[in-house]
Amino acid sequence: MNFSRRHFLQTGSTASLAAVAVGCDKLEVPDALRIGPRAVAPPDGPFATPTGKDIDLVSQALNRLTFGARPWDYQRTRKLGMTEEAAFAAFLDQQLAPEKIDDPNCENATRRFELLHEPLGELFEYQDKHLLDALVRSTVLRAVFTERQLYEVMVNFWSDHFNIDPSKGDAKWLKVADDRDVIRAHALGKFPAMLRASALSPAMLWYLDGRVNKKANDADKPNENSARELLELHTLGVHGGYSQKDVMEVARCLTGWGVQEVGRSKLNLGSVEFKPYQHDRGEKVVLGHVIPGIPKKANAAEIEKLGRAELDTVLGIIGLHPSTAKFIATKLCQRFIADAPPAAAVSAVAEQFIASGGDIPGTLRALFATDAFLTTRGNKLKRPFHYIVSTLRATHATTDAGSAIQDYLLRMGHAPFHYPTPDGYPEEAAPWLGTLLWRWNFAVALTKNELGNATKLDADKLRASFATEENQMAHFLGRAPTADEVTACKESGAPLALLLASPSFQKC
Amino acid sequence: MSTQTSITGNGDNLKTLVVVFLRGGADGLNMVAPAHDPGYHNARPRIAIKDTDTGAAKLDGSFVLNPLLKDLATPYHDNALAVVHAVGSEDATRSHFEAQDLMERAGDVAGGWLGRYLRFRGATTTGALSAIAVSRALPESLRGAPSATVMRSLEDFTLGKGGGPLQASLEKLYAKEHDALGNSARDTLKALSRIEDLRNATYAPAHGANYERDDFSQGMKQVARLIKARVGLEAVSLDIGGWDSHITQSAIMDPQMRKLNTGLSAFYRDLGKTMEHVTVVVLTEFGRRLAENSAFGTDHGRGSVMFLMGGGVKGGRVLTKWPGLTKDVLEGPGDVPVTINYRDVLAPILQRHHPKVDLAKVFPDYELKPQVVYG
Repeated sequence: MNFSRRHFLQTGSTASLAAVAVGCDKLEVPDALRIGPRAVAPPDGPFATPTGKDIDLVSQALNRLTFGARPWDYQRTRKLGMTEEAAFAAFLDQQLAPEKIDDPNCENATRRFELLHEPLGELFEYQDKHLLDALVRSTVLRAVFTERQLYEVMVNFWSDHFNIDPSKGDAKWLKVADDRDVIRAHALGKFPAMLRASALSPAMLWYLDGRVNKKANDADKPNENSARELLELHTLGVHGGYSQKDVMEVARCLTGWGVQEVGRSKLNLGSVEFKPYQHDRGEKVVLGHVIPGIPKKANAAEIEKLGRAELDTVLGIIGLHPSTAKFIATKLCQRFIADAPPAAAVSAVAEQFIASGGDIPGTLRALFATDAFLTTRGNKLKRPFHYIVSTLRATHATTDAGSAIQDYLLRMGHAPFHYPTPDGYPEEAAPWLGTLLWRWNFAVALTKNELGNATKLDADKLRASFATEENQMAHFLGRAPTADEVTACKESGAPLALLLASPSFQKC
Repeated sequence: MSTQTSITGNGDNLKTLVVVFLRGGADGLNMVAPAHDPGYHNARPRIAIKDTDTGAAKLDGSFVLNPLLKDLATPYHDNALAVVHAVGSEDATRSHFEAQDLMERAGDVAGGWLGRYLRFRGATTTGALSAIAVSRALPESLRGAPSATVMRSLEDFTLGKGGGPLQASLEKLYAKEHDALGNSARDTLKALSRIEDLRNATYAPAHGANYERDDFSQGMKQVARLIKARVGLEAVSLDIGGWDSHITQSAIMDPQMRKLNTGLSAFYRDLGKTMEHVTVVVLTEFGRRLAENSAFGTDHGRGSVMFLMGGGVKGGRVLTKWPGLTKDVLEGPGDVPVTINYRDVLAPILQRHHPKVDLAKVFPDYELKPQVVYG
């Protein structure tokens, strides 16, 4: 439903005049006058739920490829195919083509954060804390409301892989652009393209000091921070077969890139620039590849061209390197299969990563086809962000992702964009085991509607979405409840809170 | 030490760090006065502390305690309390907000130093109650901790009103889990039930310690109870606000010093030998100007004091690179310069508590010059 702005303003002003005229404070805005797409109501219940005593393939898909099942997701996904396998395949096809999925509810939920769409330089017009709040809230809201769930899961994955702490310097403003133009632009694209976008992201150049890596004279020592993390965290991995010498050589190749800074220029603020006179023109050797020196007689334009090209040469060497493939494959398998994934799965994924030229959807298809993925179910601990989002989805709660939600994420040490070091939040279970008390408290607060005015659930409506109490339990558990779980629910006096606090709901 | 075993996952030799933040810029020169420095008396003709003041305990040849802090002389003379003087941060804005922010975050980096300490302390597990802020909101210093609790009192540790049956049901369900999640759940449930016991029992502080009724003393009392109950507490943050003494210094600072004095000394008595495993650190965002102003107050300055108590710190001394108070050493508008950076005092303490702590991640972009805090 696309209105022209003028059309909207006209109808909008008519509506507000009408409101004044009747003095009505409960004016129902007609759908035609709403901004943005029409909200899509969920299908009518009661919904079918899993019946097996173990997690089936459809629940596995909803557990791992999404931030958790909403009340109708199991039924809707299961209907995509005659068999579980066919349904899973069809769901995967849908999720790997996010651009074809309509997403009106998510658009509506995040529409207010228009500032996140501002061009690079305009971001500096905002207070950094407002930008961070908008970024955190829209991230939570997207995870809760988007239909493009696998895309959002991958955004979450790459945000950790290319972690930036927006506390540092101009990253306070520039992380917004990085989230949009690097992470979201490439989350289901090609890895080499994402790697290049990240290496030239102004926020990353700030965060890893790439902007001060220069060789303007003999006394200048290149800053290795950016080169080291590029090799250690973004591509090859710490045991990926590079030496300290390689780090130094890569640092030399990357000299000269900078960012237009606050206080220096009002024009092109935050944009990336290459300064030929700060580039190291000598010969370099990176992982055995010789990168010839720039001829002494080269003019400024030639230096610029050759100097810029060294970045691409380096990325060409490491972007699809076997160590990179193994490192990325291992991290993906840790995310989607198990904290310690089997080697066979990692090799299969790594092979496809190389064969497909780092095509992320292709690599994910290979992962989701491994025996390890298909058979390892219910073993991963949800990280706190996943946990919180999955409770909101499972209960079909409304939320504004405001301070009540963010407080819990902060207390559990997992608020988006709050991780200090470039390795990103840990994926494995151990560091998150201390958060149980806050998960339980959150379950209680949510089910008692004690999370402020904007986060609410309707327990009666939820219950009416399922034919029986046991169906409702199966929705939360992704399988039929055990006798112990049925008893515990009855005895707890708070069945919804118990389900959200139960061991099975902590896992995926 | 209590006979109760520590809740597993946190080690049996668990140490607790208690950080007390004096918000508002507490005047170190008024708390621990350089009473023999003529520059001090010349600059503060009306408000200086004299070593002849009743109750002003002599610490060493140079400094005396404000009489309102007189009970801190006991741990000092037990060699369990050290004063650090002319200490602070590199922030020279003299803005409360900026200086508190820097001191709690310790750099241009996500989270606070206490939170990063807990994340990078080199332990594999973190208990449910490893970090507690006795306040209304999570302080900046604890941001980024793997698990942080905000509480006003023990009453906050429940699974909601009437949560008993829920807790019992969770206990049954998690009893069937034999993995790390199950272990962690059992630890958490154990901690909840210990706190439940504490809530239902009246608490008798040991050794005749007497906690006053103000928030700080009550907070310290709760912390003492939790430490004795061995629920796995590793880091605590408490605040005393209201140190911004621009006018009538004594009217502003005296009540706050009374709170600090009684809270710390009651805690010290109450814990007794357990103090060996507990380190209390008191700090503030900046000190005050050397010279008093026309309103019997002092304005924002730079260096102030820290107090370090318990945990084996080498007490009974004033740890300082005292710059003197002559005009040529005063900074900016006439302030005691910072000659010791607070990170250099904290670093050895964090290392003592967790020898494997990654200090470069706790205090990034700072070259540590650790002070000799231990003997």
